Amino acid sequence: MATLVLDNGAYWAKIGYSQDKVSVIPNCQFRSKTSRLKTFTANQLDEIKDPSGLFYILPFQKGYLVNWDVQRKVWDHLFGKEMFKVEFPDTSIIITEPYFNFSSIQESMNEILFEEYQFQSALRINAGSLGAHRYFTTKPSELCCLVVDSGFSFTHIVPYCRSKKLKEGIRRINVGGKLLTNHLKEIISYRQLHVMDETYVINQVKEDVCYVSQQFYKDMEIAQMKGEENTVMRDYVLPDFSAIKKGFCKPREEMVFSGKYKTGEQTLQLANERFAVPEMLFHPSDIGIQEMGIPETIADAVQSLPEEMHPHFYQNIVLTGGNSLFPGFRERLEAELRSLVPAHLPVNVFLPENPVCYSWEGGKLLAHSPDYDEMVVMREDYEENGHIICEEKFDI
Amino acid sequence: SPLGGSGQVWIIRSGSDAGQRRVLDEATRQRRLTRQLEALEKDNFQDDPLSSLPPPGPTARLPAFKKKRRKTRGDHFKQRFRKNFTTLLEEENLSERAEPNYLSAAAPPSSLPPRLFCCVCGFPSHYTCTTCGGRYCSSRCLLTHRETRCLKWTL
Repeated sequence: MATLVLDNGAYWAKIGYSQDKVSVIPNCQFRSKTSRLKTFTANQLDEIKDPSGLFYILPFQKGYLVNWDVQRKVWDHLFGKEMFKVEFPDTSIIITEPYFNFSSIQESMNEILFEEYQFQSALRINAGSLGAHRYFTTKPSELCCLVVDSGFSFTHIVPYCRSKKLKEGIRRINVGGKLLTNHLKEIISYRQLHVMDETYVINQVKEDVCYVSQQFYKDMEIAQMKGEENTVMRDYVLPDFSAIKKGFCKPREEMVFSGKYKTGEQTLQLANERFAVPEMLFHPSDIGIQEMGIPETIADAVQSLPEEMHPHFYQNIVLTGGNSLFPGFRERLEAELRSLVPAHLPVNVFLPENPVCYSWEGGKLLAHSPDYDEMVVMREDYEENGHIICEEKFDI
Repeated sequence: SPLGGSGQVWIIRSGSDAGQRRVLDEATRQRRLTRQLEALEKDNFQDDPLSSLPPPGPTARLPAFKKKRRKTRGDHFKQRFRKNFTTLLEEENLSERAEPNYLSAAAPPSSLPPRLFCCVCGFPSHYTCTTCGGRYCSSRCLLTHRETRCLKWTL
């Protein structure tokens, strides 16, 4: 009997057996300009020689799983003989869902897992709960933690007390990696070069050059300076997929500050874009979204909960999700919170070694815990009782 | 310096008399902002490469019949799996349901005043375009704005 842990994200699927390590695989299909007839699924992305103008087909919309045709195709590939070779009657699955997942989607999930794939048993759970489980395992003396899950679709603030999530304290900010990449595409397209079709390439640019500023207006001043004084400016060499397979940031020693480069490469000049884009996580109003940023939302969420819990939350803030990988993210969040939170309360923001896989690692631990067998729903239970048994057992 | 390093004066040719310049009302400005934000939600800006192919001719080979899925229940089953996000959210009927739920979890508006940036270069802005409400930082950026974006569809 094996347990498959699948953190089913809107961009990345983090998947692996509980005895093995995790694989991070795109949870979508792709089509390319060059081979238009073929649809590439998940990690078949690696087979695409020229990802320019890459077309994405995502099963998720606004963070919720709506396109089952596409999701099934991805899962067929992941569960199939080329990847994890799942023996369904002997496999239990831990699978993640978004917070407040719609009941119709939850029911579809039950049907797909039990009736179509026919897993032996299943546990449907929020990714944050797995992250909290991972955190409490390393810090067993702590009673509460606050998971900040900032991924592709949105950012959630989820308070946990003794492994149970406090629903009244959950907050959702509609800013995620997708928004950041699209905004970066838009401003580059307006200011320098038309890249609206180049999601794959610009996403790479974002991951390579963007950072969270610790001194926003100061960085803005530096970014306006000319020549070598502008320590913020970077030149990014775009891939051409023949000589240059992958884009990269030119090191400062090689940068030409006046005039053009002699080699024929296409470059982007990025200055305030580098830190203004991730700033949207801290100030969604920068772009016209009328929502609080992450620090303010954390304070708002904690304020809504009983006062005796406040210190416990502020001391145990856990960052998960791809956006926490921006350099400077953790430090900036801690600094902002420090100025928002009453002075006598300590603030501690923890960035795991691998924030993208942290929840998956929690799933791995959970699969081996003695409580696991009580938490799952067996296929026979579902066939006998229907959706109601899942509603009672799973806390989504 | 935005006014030219050697003390030149920029002459802004707007193409029409300042007094006759069109001014967009608040509702229109709000609609433009909403459209911009919706555009940021798109997965792709280009069309599906597959959709631009011509339909197969009469001699084209059709794909082989796929292996039948286990326990599919026909059309009803498939229809439910194709609804979009907005439909599914409406069907949840959350306004009738108890909180906390998806809608109540939305982060409230910020108490902090919004920061304003030039819509051309992205640096801090102190001025507003009288026509469309777009922000700018200097007369050079205002000129670019008027020529490229002001009364045109942004993206």
